[in-house]
Amino acid sequence: MIALVAVAWLAQFAAVRAAEVAPTGKGAASPSPGASAQATGIDAAQPKMVKIYGAGGFEGLEAYQSGFLISAEGHILTAWSYVLDTDYLTVMLADGRKLEAKLVGADPRLEIAVVKVEGQSLDHFDLARPAVADVGTRVWAVSNLFGVATGDEADSVQHGVVAAKTQLDARRGVYETPYHGPVYVLDCITNNPGAAGGALVNLKGELLGMLGKELRNSQNNIWLNYAVPLDQFATSVDDIIAGKAHAVADTPATPAMKDGQGIDLAERGVVLVPDVLERTPPYIEQVRPRTPAAEAGLKADDLVVFVGEHLVQSLQALAAEMKQLDSAGEVRLFVLRDQQLVDVVLPPAKDDAPDVKP
Amino acid sequence: MISSRITNPTRKRGFFVLLADARARITSPKRERGFFVLRPSRVLAAGGWRRVSGLLCALIGIAAFAAPCTAFAAQSLAELEERAIQAAVAHVAPAVVKIETVGGLERVGQLLVGTGPTTGLVVDPEGLIISSAYNFIQRPDSILVTLADGTRLPAKLVATDHSRMLVLLSVHPSAPLAAAEAVPADQMHVGQWAIAVGRTLSADSPNVSVGIVSALDRVWGRAIQTDAKISPTNYGGPLVDISGRVFGLLVPLSPESSSTLAGVEWYDSGIGFAVPLSGVHSVLSRLAAGNDLYPGVLGIAMKAGDLMSQPAEIAVCRPHSPAAAAGLRAGDTITEINGKPVTRQAQFKQELNRHYAGDHVHLVVTRSGERREHDVELAEKIQPYEFPFAGLLPLRPLAGKPAELVVRFVYPDSPAAKAGIQAGDKVVTLAGQDVKSYEDAIERLKNREPGEKIAIGLEREGQPVTAEIELTRLPTDIPPELPAAHPPVETNGAEPAVGVIRLAAGDDASSGKDPAEEKGDEKSDDGGDKKKAVGDKPAAKGTLAYVPTAYKSDLRYGVVVWLHGSTPDKADELVARWRPLCDAHDLILVAPTAAVGGKWQTADVGKISEALDEVSKNYSVDPARVVIHGYEGGGALAYLFGFGHADTVRGVAAVGTPLPVWLSVPENDPANRLAIYSATAATDGLTVAVDAGLAKLRGMKYPVTAKKLGDEARYLSADELDELIRWIDTLDRF
Repeated sequence: MIALVAVAWLAQFAAVRAAEVAPTGKGAASPSPGASAQATGIDAAQPKMVKIYGAGGFEGLEAYQSGFLISAEGHILTAWSYVLDTDYLTVMLADGRKLEAKLVGADPRLEIAVVKVEGQSLDHFDLARPAVADVGTRVWAVSNLFGVATGDEADSVQHGVVAAKTQLDARRGVYETPYHGPVYVLDCITNNPGAAGGALVNLKGELLGMLGKELRNSQNNIWLNYAVPLDQFATSVDDIIAGKAHAVADTPATPAMKDGQGIDLAERGVVLVPDVLERTPPYIEQVRPRTPAAEAGLKADDLVVFVGEHLVQSLQALAAEMKQLDSAGEVRLFVLRDQQLVDVVLPPAKDDAPDVKP
Repeated sequence: MISSRITNPTRKRGFFVLLADARARITSPKRERGFFVLRPSRVLAAGGWRRVSGLLCALIGIAAFAAPCTAFAAQSLAELEERAIQAAVAHVAPAVVKIETVGGLERVGQLLVGTGPTTGLVVDPEGLIISSAYNFIQRPDSILVTLADGTRLPAKLVATDHSRMLVLLSVHPSAPLAAAEAVPADQMHVGQWAIAVGRTLSADSPNVSVGIVSALDRVWGRAIQTDAKISPTNYGGPLVDISGRVFGLLVPLSPESSSTLAGVEWYDSGIGFAVPLSGVHSVLSRLAAGNDLYPGVLGIAMKAGDLMSQPAEIAVCRPHSPAAAAGLRAGDTITEINGKPVTRQAQFKQELNRHYAGDHVHLVVTRSGERREHDVELAEKIQPYEFPFAGLLPLRPLAGKPAELVVRFVYPDSPAAKAGIQAGDKVVTLAGQDVKSYEDAIERLKNREPGEKIAIGLEREGQPVTAEIELTRLPTDIPPELPAAHPPVETNGAEPAVGVIRLAAGDDASSGKDPAEEKGDEKSDDGGDKKKAVGDKPAAKGTLAYVPTAYKSDLRYGVVVWLHGSTPDKADELVARWRPLCDAHDLILVAPTAAVGGKWQTADVGKISEALDEVSKNYSVDPARVVIHGYEGGGALAYLFGFGHADTVRGVAAVGTPLPVWLSVPENDPANRLAIYSATAATDGLTVAVDAGLAKLRGMKYPVTAKKLGDEARYLSADELDELIRWIDTLDRF
């Protein structure tokens, strides 16, 4: 086991330094790097994987999920889910040992949990040494999806690449989950029962992240395969292990809604078309004279397409954007006029403006 | 969020994805990246990955000791591949744009349209961008394109390619754009790396999915197939090779359907399609000029049968079609298209479907042993075919009697009535050709349309009579009463099982049925028939059916397949309702039950087919009166089955259900007449959908009989059911 880890370390070292440093004779002579790149990465990861059995077992809710060791003493990182919601939590180590496990703590914001088994000198991933992946990086997804592996059978390994790294906009909530941070979207079908809590590793077996739950992308309704990057949960895991209740209030407060009122476009002289369709396009019907809108150059029949950086696809979306803004602040709009995008900064109405709509 | 119809393919296929590692070859990178020293294609062609990587490692080992080739030495093949893939994506990335839309429909049919961004590919530096038509199904008010460098531009939809489901957009960039480079068709090979690229998930870089070219010339010659994961996250984006050149544009497609939504259910499932970019280039100027492109239509129907084994014999040549204009005729057999030999119908379809309306195809046909050549310009569409109608209902013949076509009933005010034709007349010729049966009559009429005049030769009391009639369209009103359908029948010999029976078909689906079905409810029939009902104690297994106890094999029987509504029927009630009708009108009832919890699924289609086959095999069935009749969900399945089995089903009778919007309705087939009966209550929401469905069918010239059932959702009353039975009784009208 230690030998394997050493090989993994050497391989990693070699790759990181490859551009600048010639490998030593010893490094080059290590078991052929091509073949072992696959085998080593997987072999390094497998001993750290565990199978978790808990609550569930009825229709649609499987009573198992995946997890991996993150300390020599038996701390295991996994997905926070109903499976852990039981007093009888069982963990099967990679060597087939079946142990009782305790829930140490969870961070519902990240949807992660730490459970612990009694143990020592257990092979584990080191969260302090984060590896990162780029789009196109080849990855292994290691998990007990569908619960097919039992006892000392190794977890299932899927291959793929990182399809995208996306920084999700927390305020707008692109994904329907408490977690709105960055994710690796995977080119690998991991959204299946039991995969949540599995490890995403690179070809060298270095931990990149934890496989997420079964979710759909709310923008285009398709199933999402994703993993939460290691750097997102490393601190939180330390806190959980240290017994610190992780502050859920850590979630950055919604930056907007500064005064809770938002911007009233009508007050600034913009009359929008009536909202009659499910997705009425936000056309300006009329611009009242001698208002901020008129002075800023907005015109009737302009179509509002962006508020700042945010696309507005309907009147409702525009209204929602306006609610998020400071009623006394200016707002930058992009409107579509004669097939041209026009950039307009709309200032607040002056108090002494003569023709302001009441 | 998503429509419930779209299942998650990954759940079913999750296991298979594990096997996807079976790729063994990668392509030869035409333009070598600097770091890529070896040509892996030569090596990899020899065998699997592990074996090869072993070989490669040996080479690397030698290289490491022999030369200061250090960067290379430390990299495994997998890492080299990874970098090649990343370089390929980087190569095409400048031409991959993000598309966003404003306004438009919230749902198309039952599909909730996503509002997320989609992808497009720059194909011309002046600002022409190709994308998938799927990305615009919501018909947005406004389209915005974000270039790779973040520049936002408003875009206009210039034209649509309805054959390959693409759209062309134009933008006006301030500087020339990077346009994608196409892989020439002769350089595409199955097994090459294929990388799907979209720009929907991240602002900074494209999203990628890696696979291989799985097949070429798919979807009737129009697409490349790949196992990279293709979904709305990359529809409209390119599928590129290992050097970043574009194989094609990612689109949802289906060989079975031509709808814009077809193929979407296959997302991320290991099967995806891309339309070759080299082909797109050849039609770019037509699209750029604002011309929509349509699949080319020839206007023929092939003889029914297996596409893969039947010769391409023309069964019907549609009037006013390019085929008719070029002089093709029913009976001609196509032996060559554009220089490619045709021995099977599928070969012909494969070549024809590549072509657009306006394209010319060169056909070689054989007519009575003589070789003929035709040059045909394909059309965009042909007026839908409408069945002609003379106004007659034939008397059904008895087996063993001389074949003759005797008039049973003349429709009032029909062309036949106006020409003085009477019940009892014998029709001997139509349009100068002999007829001896209903089948002959349909054969003579199938290449004709309403408005045409034909001569009809009759025999009345032994005297020849001739008349000329102007064909009209099929009636949709149901006659209030009809004379007897056949002459009296004498009893005859051995008969198969009659009464309530269980067909072998659908054996598996019978568990969990209502215990009422266990009861044998067959009593001796009141007609005094001497035959024994065999179904006295039917086993609960298999598909329930009722055969009139007075069954005689000399007669031909209609078949009604009944698909229950949301509540499956109790067998005894069902039989009580249908027995008198079946007995009186020579009908066999087949009543399968939904396999899962009383809810029909498309998979139940197979069971219905089996049951129909079994009935046709064991009983004397009148092919002109095979009807599929369903209530609620059963009605939707009836539509699905009817349109999918045009060769066997002659009527679809749907109660309380609209035509499913997702169903792609085939064109009217002159050789296989299908009539529609629809009855619905004016309940909230349903009426609009039902009327829209019926309007669509009428537009396609299907004969549609529509009934309103008042305000309360319900099944047919006894009187209404009688009328439906009369409708079935008239399906052999001509």
